Amino acid sequence: MKKRVLSVILGAALVSTALAGCGNTAKETAATTAATETAATAATETAAADASAYEECTITFDWWGGDSRHEATQAAVNAFMAKYPGINVEVNFGAWSDWETAKAAEYVSGNNPDLQQTNFDWNTKYNADGKTYLDLNTVSDVLDLTQFSDNDLKIVQDVNGGIAGIPVALTGRTFYWNKATFEQAGLEVPTTLEEFMAAGPVFKEKLGDKYYPLVIGNYDRAILMTYYMQAQAGTPIIDENGKLNFTQEQFKEGLDWIQSLEDNHVIPTLEYYNGEGADSIDKSARFINGEYAGIFEWDSAAKKYISALGDNGANLVVGAPFADMGPAGTGSFTKVSLMFSISAKSEHPHEAAMLLNYLLNDPEGVALMGTERGIPESKIAYETLDAAGAINETIAAAHDAVMNSKPMYWNPLFDDSSLKGSSPAAYTDIFDQFSYGMIDSDAAAQALFDAYSAVCN
Amino acid sequence: MRKSKKFLKNNVGFLFVSLWLIGFLVFKAYPFLSSLYYSFTDYHLFKGISKFTLQNYTDVFTNAAERKALLTTFKYAFMTVPLKLVAALFIAYILNFKIKGVNFFRTAYYIPSILGGSVAIAVLWKALFNDDGLIRSAFTAIGVDAPRFMSNPSWALFMICLLRVWQFGSSMVIFLAALKGVSVDLYEAASIDGAGKWRQFFTITIPLITPVIFYNLVTQLVQAFQEFNGPYIITKGGPLGSTTLMSLLVYNNAFTAYKMGKASAQAWVLFIILMIFTAIAFWSQKRWVYYADEDGR
Repeated sequence: MKKRVLSVILGAALVSTALAGCGNTAKETAATTAATETAATAATETAAADASAYEECTITFDWWGGDSRHEATQAAVNAFMAKYPGINVEVNFGAWSDWETAKAAEYVSGNNPDLQQTNFDWNTKYNADGKTYLDLNTVSDVLDLTQFSDNDLKIVQDVNGGIAGIPVALTGRTFYWNKATFEQAGLEVPTTLEEFMAAGPVFKEKLGDKYYPLVIGNYDRAILMTYYMQAQAGTPIIDENGKLNFTQEQFKEGLDWIQSLEDNHVIPTLEYYNGEGADSIDKSARFINGEYAGIFEWDSAAKKYISALGDNGANLVVGAPFADMGPAGTGSFTKVSLMFSISAKSEHPHEAAMLLNYLLNDPEGVALMGTERGIPESKIAYETLDAAGAINETIAAAHDAVMNSKPMYWNPLFDDSSLKGSSPAAYTDIFDQFSYGMIDSDAAAQALFDAYSAVCN
Repeated sequence: MRKSKKFLKNNVGFLFVSLWLIGFLVFKAYPFLSSLYYSFTDYHLFKGISKFTLQNYTDVFTNAAERKALLTTFKYAFMTVPLKLVAALFIAYILNFKIKGVNFFRTAYYIPSILGGSVAIAVLWKALFNDDGLIRSAFTAIGVDAPRFMSNPSWALFMICLLRVWQFGSSMVIFLAALKGVSVDLYEAASIDGAGKWRQFFTITIPLITPVIFYNLVTQLVQAFQEFNGPYIITKGGPLGSTTLMSLLVYNNAFTAYKMGKASAQAWVLFIILMIFTAIAFWSQKRWVYYADEDGR
């Protein structure tokens, strides 16, 4: 009898434990929803009266990046919480590797955080219907949009004409040179394509087979080849309407040029590059010890390379896209380096916008954020950092080099997942096969042209 | 009242297993069946389903990249499993002798398999075999121009295989337990009859541990076909797709290209292949596995 009673009690306890969670959650959800609705209504009314009013709540915020970005952003978040007691910000951050995979899963499940660092192409990728990111016009009472140019806000529009995110900075690729290695080779850092091409054989002769003027991976090759092709043609590879502007023959010319860089010992083959097994160039011992004397990187990314060089960081100097790359100039492009977006499902958009405004436009937050995400597009942020002498000289120089190179339009389709990313993806597969000598430039051009055509169609 | 008590008594067991059942249905059965459904569609994670198609399945055998991944998976499995089993059995056999410090050696050989799926080991492997790593530097030091183990398509897969072969510890422990179960009397009798160590090994040891060999064969086969960590961390499937196994292709299609329909079909093909190999192994055991507690077979 006792056993029977015990088993009934245990069974009941088990069921009640299992169901209690649901019950509570349901109740809590109902309560939360009701509270949110009430709060939202109240918040709207209050906001209309006083945009600086806010309710006590917890908001979530995530970003990717390196250590220095994490430290700066955390410091800014802590300062925000101190300034606005009652708003608790839960942060989540990490390295870029596999970050997007995790975020994609969040988008599918609808669990993306209130405030989020986002990539420019995510607007078309994950916000195709304009329902993932909040239209930031709706929180313009606390988020000062006037600090951004009309063009900045235009390029981040969603399909409904809303503002899907705030472009933190514009960025483009430029060259960085290790001047110490060039000096060892008896050369000045290259300022023209001609000097650049001539450096390869000199490096080989004077420094040995292991030394190269430039190192580029698969995606870098796609961008550098695009610069070259755009410089020849004077048109962006993909225009504003998503039209592919280049023919298969033009792709072949671009690929032949890339091949000439390998043949002239200007860049290493991908077999040599992959053989080191470094996760990225800033972690490459060959870059750190100066064997790779140049990189082709985003203007906002200089700090991690300077940091990687340690005591020799000062040897890394900024170059510029080559003016003699082709008859049409440098062929460079700029794009939004990254954005901040607020989730359309956020229960606290007002408070999330307050945090966003603090990070981008409040002199206090701006000072803490620094140039970790590039040279800020926000006018007040730029003025604040400039006045404080807080704009990193190398980043500023790189940014100027890009902006002064007459950059062309860049379409996010260039980064489509069928082109960029892990195999199967065109940049990885085609540049690998081409560099390893598995296919010639005709076949590679055909494959690239087909891949772009599929995306642009 | 009595009726409800009786009902409760008869069904209380279901209450106890209900949590497990719910977990099984939600996290196993539902994804299993839904992936079968998706495999016949062009399901894209963000674009949804626009059509039903068999193309995902035909692509596995006709698309060059997918066919290559399938072939690479076979190569990987057929290199790794035999090498791992032979290595495990060989070391277990040696460690079955009463030698000084045997417990230390048993532990030392088992440690790599404890670290089996760890990222750290894959990173270590990368550091050992990359161009500037210990192994290639050692070859260079003695004047041998060693190949680029990790970036040469002819070598990269073998290096990935070697990583898993090195982690033979768990199979070794199982073999060791089986070897200890072989009666000493049999060896004594064989020895009296003049059988040498090799003869004893092949005519006494091997036949008596065939159930364990069979068990290790099946589990290692399943593991090999599901291998993911090694190629993902060390080579990312490169160079030239030479280490892109089916599991990595499934991952890339599902989570970087978001082609869930295609990834589901690839996963199902992998599952069916595994089922076939497992079925063949079970079918063949009648011919070579000896179970002493039944009628011998």
